[in-house]
Amino acid sequence: MTKTENILKKAKDIQKKYSCFVTIADKIDTNEKGKLRGIAVSVKDNICTKGMMSTAGSKILEGYIPQFDATVVERVRKEGAMIIGKTTQDEFGFGTFSVNSAFGIPKNPHDIERTCGGSSGGAGCLTVLADFPHIAIAESTGGSISCPAAFTGTVGLTPTYGRVSRWGLIDYANSLDKIGVIGKNVKDVALLFSIISGHDPMDSTSLDVKQEDFTKYLDGKIGGLKIGIPKEYFEKGVDEKIKDLVMKAVKKLEELGAKVEEVSLPNTDYALASYYIIAMSEASTNLAKFCGMRYGLQPELKGNYDESFSNARKEGFGEEAKRRVILGTYARMAGFRDAYYLKALKVRTKVIEDFKNAFKKFDVLIAPTMPVVAPKFDEIAKLEPIEVYMMDILTVAPNLAGIPMISVPCGEVNGMPIGLHIMGDHLQEKKILQVAYAYEKVKK
Amino acid sequence: MKTIMGLEIHVHLSTKSKLFCSCPTDYEKTEPNEITCPICTGMPGSKPKVNKKAIDFGIMVAKALNCKINSEMFFSRKSYFYPDMPKNFQITQYEIPLAVEGRMDITDKTIRIRRIHMEEDPGKLVHVGGDITTAKYVLVDYNRSGIPLIEVVTEPDFNTTKEVREFLAKLTSILEHLEVFDASKEATLRVDANISLEGGERTEIKNITGFVNVEKALNYEIVRQNNLVSMGMKVTRETRHFDAEMNTTSTLRKKEFEEDYGYIFEPDLTNIEISDKWIDDIVKKMPELPDARIKRFIEKYKIPERDAKVIVYVDKALADFFEECVKIYKEPKEIAKWIVTDLLKSLNWNDVRIRESKVKPKTFVELLQLIEEGKITERLAKELIKEYVATGKSPKKIISKKKIKMVSLSELEKVVIEVIGKNKKAVGDYKAGNEKALEFLLGQVLRKIKAAGDPKKIKELIKRLL
Amino acid sequence: MAEITEDTVKHVAKIARLDLTESEIKKFTQQLKDILEAFKKLDEVDTTNVKPSFHPQEIKNVLRNDEPKKWKWDSLANTKQKEGKYFKGPRAV
Repeated sequence: MTKTENILKKAKDIQKKYSCFVTIADKIDTNEKGKLRGIAVSVKDNICTKGMMSTAGSKILEGYIPQFDATVVERVRKEGAMIIGKTTQDEFGFGTFSVNSAFGIPKNPHDIERTCGGSSGGAGCLTVLADFPHIAIAESTGGSISCPAAFTGTVGLTPTYGRVSRWGLIDYANSLDKIGVIGKNVKDVALLFSIISGHDPMDSTSLDVKQEDFTKYLDGKIGGLKIGIPKEYFEKGVDEKIKDLVMKAVKKLEELGAKVEEVSLPNTDYALASYYIIAMSEASTNLAKFCGMRYGLQPELKGNYDESFSNARKEGFGEEAKRRVILGTYARMAGFRDAYYLKALKVRTKVIEDFKNAFKKFDVLIAPTMPVVAPKFDEIAKLEPIEVYMMDILTVAPNLAGIPMISVPCGEVNGMPIGLHIMGDHLQEKKILQVAYAYEKVKK
Repeated sequence: MKTIMGLEIHVHLSTKSKLFCSCPTDYEKTEPNEITCPICTGMPGSKPKVNKKAIDFGIMVAKALNCKINSEMFFSRKSYFYPDMPKNFQITQYEIPLAVEGRMDITDKTIRIRRIHMEEDPGKLVHVGGDITTAKYVLVDYNRSGIPLIEVVTEPDFNTTKEVREFLAKLTSILEHLEVFDASKEATLRVDANISLEGGERTEIKNITGFVNVEKALNYEIVRQNNLVSMGMKVTRETRHFDAEMNTTSTLRKKEFEEDYGYIFEPDLTNIEISDKWIDDIVKKMPELPDARIKRFIEKYKIPERDAKVIVYVDKALADFFEECVKIYKEPKEIAKWIVTDLLKSLNWNDVRIRESKVKPKTFVELLQLIEEGKITERLAKELIKEYVATGKSPKKIISKKKIKMVSLSELEKVVIEVIGKNKKAVGDYKAGNEKALEFLLGQVLRKIKAAGDPKKIKELIKRLL
Repeated sequence: MAEITEDTVKHVAKIARLDLTESEIKKFTQQLKDILEAFKKLDEVDTTNVKPSFHPQEIKNVLRNDEPKKWKWDSLANTKQKEGKYFKGPRAV
């Protein structure tokens, strides 16, 4: 067996027990040169891969084979990466536990009765289990990189909105989606991030920034760096043991020379509602194109277009997708638009302002990534939708503000990993990577 | 009862690529779905990017219609489902469009322009096995999807269909002169018209193609609404469809619910600032507008206002043709006269527009020169012109083929002198004030030259030589 | 704010072209009520004179030149319902 065949076999074995893939590649072609040669890269299934099925975790896109690569996929292929397959996720990104996938629910390698988190659950799962060099391309809208990173004990980087091209990303919410990276350590994550980031003319929201090698900033030196601890992130709802571990981690950073101080982000409480309303409004329009025509699930045409479309969407969408389409449509309907959609956009401004003010004084902000450890599947089944949404309280605000953030493992509670969330100002990935790397070096 | 009408006019802009993708826009001679890409077919993962030229064109139109251009504009998603919609939302402009508050002057009135905005066209549907209401299924061609449209929305300032016709003719002329719109393409103006009788409900007639049909549709609708009212019934507020073959409007099958467009800001695009500098750069390079051209024609060529208006408004190509002719033959008044009467008549009779016809300045001018030289009569020219327009053959060649003898000026003079010499009594009668005697002398000349001369010119010649 | 009823959900489902079952309608009605109740929090924020943020950072003036380029692909490759070079779709009315 060649090296690539070996890797694919291992992938299939992992898949049997943990269900983290939607598709495993039949074979791997690589140019064997470039910064990613010898490294397997998995791609979240909402990112288009030429010739390989891309479903965004939804039945309505089953069978859809894109004829073009997403820009990020093009860039990693160029650097010799081995694309081993597409990882599973909550349908279109709708979820925090990857249970809303039409193609199998990934199981947490630390405890298979628990979730890997979501929506990039498959990516987090595979990253833990791969015993060959592997880095995952993932995606976040409200916390879908940070959450699985925290729950699986991996490193997850969510870049600044616009830092990484969205061309080829199947949209959840266009003003919130960011493609990012999940890896075993900070260096791996910095490496892949360096390759996928940078301006892309195909994406109008792509920032005018050049590609940069972020691995060269990893020197462990953070003396003098000012760390802000947002007090709203340590309030009720967050597990006490998690708070303790996070503060222990912060202490370690202080020992390295960082200065720590408390700060307030007064509009934190409103970020969740603002995020969900904007996200669902945009998502409900993005999902309108899926109507059984042209690609994916294409049932027999029956009746007029109202009937035909409604039927295809009924068959192809899962429950959470339907719920969000209904909510998102409602929030932007005439008569409700001002109170919901437009109001949420204004509240977003205030949330962003909070961060901008904090970053005038601080280099990074640190908080717990998730309020709890990875829940068990039977616990999740009992949750009402609003309770599921509330799980995102610590990640939605930075995602809404489009600031970069990185989650690094910082201990265990009840045997399950928890994450340290390091957030920076727009385009300050350098700083958050430095802090993450410094912590990683000293955390034992 | 007073009629109140407003229009929404959709115009295809003649950019080389589509509004949000780089697909070419020349879809006329293509196979279905030949000029498409993931963006204009709404493939998952695709993202739009705005064509700057489309905005350049939009700015020109806004300026020509005296609008206030917004200093910053953005695009919105208008959600509705239909088989020709690749994304089931249209990227258009809602809250902050390109321009607002403009006006166009027509005879006796000013029509206010409420707004001008930009949006993308959907695909084209073919209804198989019937028409829109009876088809079994549809076939969709996305070649047209994504073509840039500019939408001009007027206030309900129209009270007669004549005003509507004039407005649309003038608008077409402006768009052609700006070179943002190719009137020869199959997609001409598409108009949605709103119409109500004062105090009554409004109906909307959607998707009328071409302004001749707009006038017909509105005329029918005015009669229909007046009939209802005179019978004591109320006009219902509804959307109607114009049948171009029957010249009638009918109710589009009513939906059980009204579409809610649920507008959101288009998050895949950015805001666009339209700076004063951008506008100035456009204005500097703007082609001559029809009204300015008419003025120039009157001042420079001294042609009557009525002729100038017809030449410029009917077809920009006709105005271009006029100027080309004047370069060759310096008799603009004559040229103008013949263009607005017989040439136009012949073009219409041959059902062809000047740019598609075989008429060329060089050969057209030939015809006029022959008349001036007295070699053919005006009446003969009027007959010849039909054949000329149909074949494009040089009038000189047509005449020689028909074996019409042409008389040169010197020959004509000889004949006139001879006739004057032989008819002293008639000459004496004419000099005494009898006009009929002139006719008699004319008849004698015509008989001699076998009727291949211009009566008017011959009369003048006789008078001159007496 | 208007009260969310099953009719609301039915109406929104029609606009969104979603065929919901009776039980889905019931379930969604209650869930929507709960979710929107939680979102009512937004009313507490004073947003007078606050501009909406369409993107996290203001991005402006991204435009492209009018240069036509044919995209090389088979637009019908993923399509089951087609006829010749056309996409097939349900009838319009």
